Amino acid sequence: MIWSHFLLAAGISTGTWVLAVFLPKRVLIRNILVLAGIASIAIFIAYLWFSLERPPLRTLGETRLWYAFFLPIIGFLTYWRWRYNWMLYYSLGLSLLFLFINYLHPENFSKTLMPALQSPWFVPHVVVYIFAYAFLAASSLVAVRGLYQEYKSDLQPKVMLMADNLVYLGFAFLTLGLLFGALWAKEAWGHYWTWDPKETWAFITWLGYLVYIHRRFHMPAKFKSSLWILALAFVILLICWFGVNYLPSAQFSVHTYSQQP
Amino acid sequence: MNKNTKALWQSPWGYSESFLLSFGFLFIGFALEYTSGTSSFGAIVFPYNLIFGGIYILQIVLVYFFIRNTATFKFLSGIPASIGAIVALSVLVVIMGVTSQVPMQEKGFVNNFGLNRITSSIPFLLINFYLLFILAMVVIRRLFPLKWSNWGFICSHLGLWITVFAAGIGSGDLQRLRMDLIENRIEGRAYDAKGNYFELPLAIKLNDFKIEEFRPKLAVVDNTTGTLYEASKPSLIMIEDGLRCKLHDWKIELEEFYVTSGRAGDRYYPIVDLGAAPAAKVKLVTPAKDTITGWISCGSFNRPHESLKIDDRFSLLMTVPEPKRFSSEVSIFTPDGRKQEQTLEVNKSFTVNGWKIYQLSYDEKMGIYSSKSIVEMVKDPWQVYVYIGVFMMMIGAVYMFWRGNKVKNEETINVVSD
Repeated sequence: MIWSHFLLAAGISTGTWVLAVFLPKRVLIRNILVLAGIASIAIFIAYLWFSLERPPLRTLGETRLWYAFFLPIIGFLTYWRWRYNWMLYYSLGLSLLFLFINYLHPENFSKTLMPALQSPWFVPHVVVYIFAYAFLAASSLVAVRGLYQEYKSDLQPKVMLMADNLVYLGFAFLTLGLLFGALWAKEAWGHYWTWDPKETWAFITWLGYLVYIHRRFHMPAKFKSSLWILALAFVILLICWFGVNYLPSAQFSVHTYSQQP
Repeated sequence: MNKNTKALWQSPWGYSESFLLSFGFLFIGFALEYTSGTSSFGAIVFPYNLIFGGIYILQIVLVYFFIRNTATFKFLSGIPASIGAIVALSVLVVIMGVTSQVPMQEKGFVNNFGLNRITSSIPFLLINFYLLFILAMVVIRRLFPLKWSNWGFICSHLGLWITVFAAGIGSGDLQRLRMDLIENRIEGRAYDAKGNYFELPLAIKLNDFKIEEFRPKLAVVDNTTGTLYEASKPSLIMIEDGLRCKLHDWKIELEEFYVTSGRAGDRYYPIVDLGAAPAAKVKLVTPAKDTITGWISCGSFNRPHESLKIDDRFSLLMTVPEPKRFSSEVSIFTPDGRKQEQTLEVNKSFTVNGWKIYQLSYDEKMGIYSSKSIVEMVKDPWQVYVYIGVFMMMIGAVYMFWRGNKVKNEETINVVSD
């Protein structure tokens, strides 16, 4: 049931967005198509939440779904603010990639939610993180574009300003996610910080973007080093998000999202 | 980057000096760790941590008074020094992130340098003190003279300083103990991770341990290996009343289901008894239209489980249900003669006499028949100071979200046209 609804929602999003890319002359129609695709994912998430009787934020596949939802929204807002079409298309492409990964790795849509996760902190902690990741992913796209322009000796300062904006927003969310997690951990387990591998990597990610912000603030006129820091910070973020599950340090993590047999 | 025309250690200091300093601290730390062997420092406890913290703050104030008009102060409160310290800390945390942090017996490279216990190693301690020192300089520079427009900056930076300082200094005073509660018994002792028992200024009587479970799930396993068969997803389907579903290539229909039952003769009957387990009668239709009907049960601590053989390769079985919610009804007695009735639940703790009591676990083998509840007792006198720091950082984060980019935009734009 859930699976066939997923296929329908993903199919609608794919269809509308592909149409949106090939109808760039009619901006209004294009925008409506983009929003329709986003709405299709939103409806599916709402349906999933309802039918699982719990917030669909537990497994990696479910977070990917949220990511596929927020990424085009942020892409669209960024396009709205800065008039960058490529940003919109990039984010749509990434979102489709996540939907495709979910198609390749269908999960057990399980209703069970362990008692430790039944907390009012659960939803804000994860949602804030997903927002942060989406902003920071967008900023890394900007970094890659900036590095490419740099390579072509055609670096637009507008690109740097956009990267800064996205990082500032993403970093604010990242900090809140980290702190919400710490407060929740104190309430649920008695200690705010236990250097669980996920926490360790989240902290490294936070430090990475901290370095970028300070470097930019100190040397606003030097782009190249900042862009490399930004690109590297995103690699760390990816390790934190996916890689942690495969690291030797992760065997005792509470954050590994593994399915119980 | 510009060519570095100035000699090293010649004023004004910049990134080179910053990295040399912070990585120098790292180097010294690892050298000390190596020479001092594995006998790492223990956390300091009250009142020594308070004295030590006071001296550290006094030291910061004194240093500020002596160097406030020098270029050294400008450097120490500047961004290059901060970045050097952050990067040095990152190196340690990355080591922590890739190696497993578990104690080891054998001597070796990892153990000699404390790489498997970074958080209690000397380099980690040194870098943290260095970072806190730099951060203090940064904050002081913004505090004097105080400008209203700096409030967001001060919230985030001072908040971080207070959080790290209070959590670090207070870690020695944090006590985490466990208490095993047995129904209808009064318990006044708790034990730590090493198994040492402590008398507490309170006693707890467990009146009732309650547990709710999710329904069990249907799954197919490989007869020879015993592993879950996952040819198609979902490979686990939760039992619901009147369930009809398709699991891989088999159609399954639920005919009867009892949450607690016992086997008598050729079938299960609903009963209420210690150890009574869930059981279901299922009808399974194979792709070749053969129908197999039978009972399955996940069993319990005193009853066997039963699966349904589909063919030589596969069997259908019922998984052990997962806990949905568990809680302890307790009476808490304190030395002043008071008795408080409370319900302890996961994510819902209760504080009494400075001890926070958490529902932690139960006898998982016994499942819903557990009469044992395990609670955790935490005493953390520094928590309120850590929280002050955390809330300041939150305000700082919200400010950052609201204000957005603070980088000097004109400089960014001008540079490319140069």
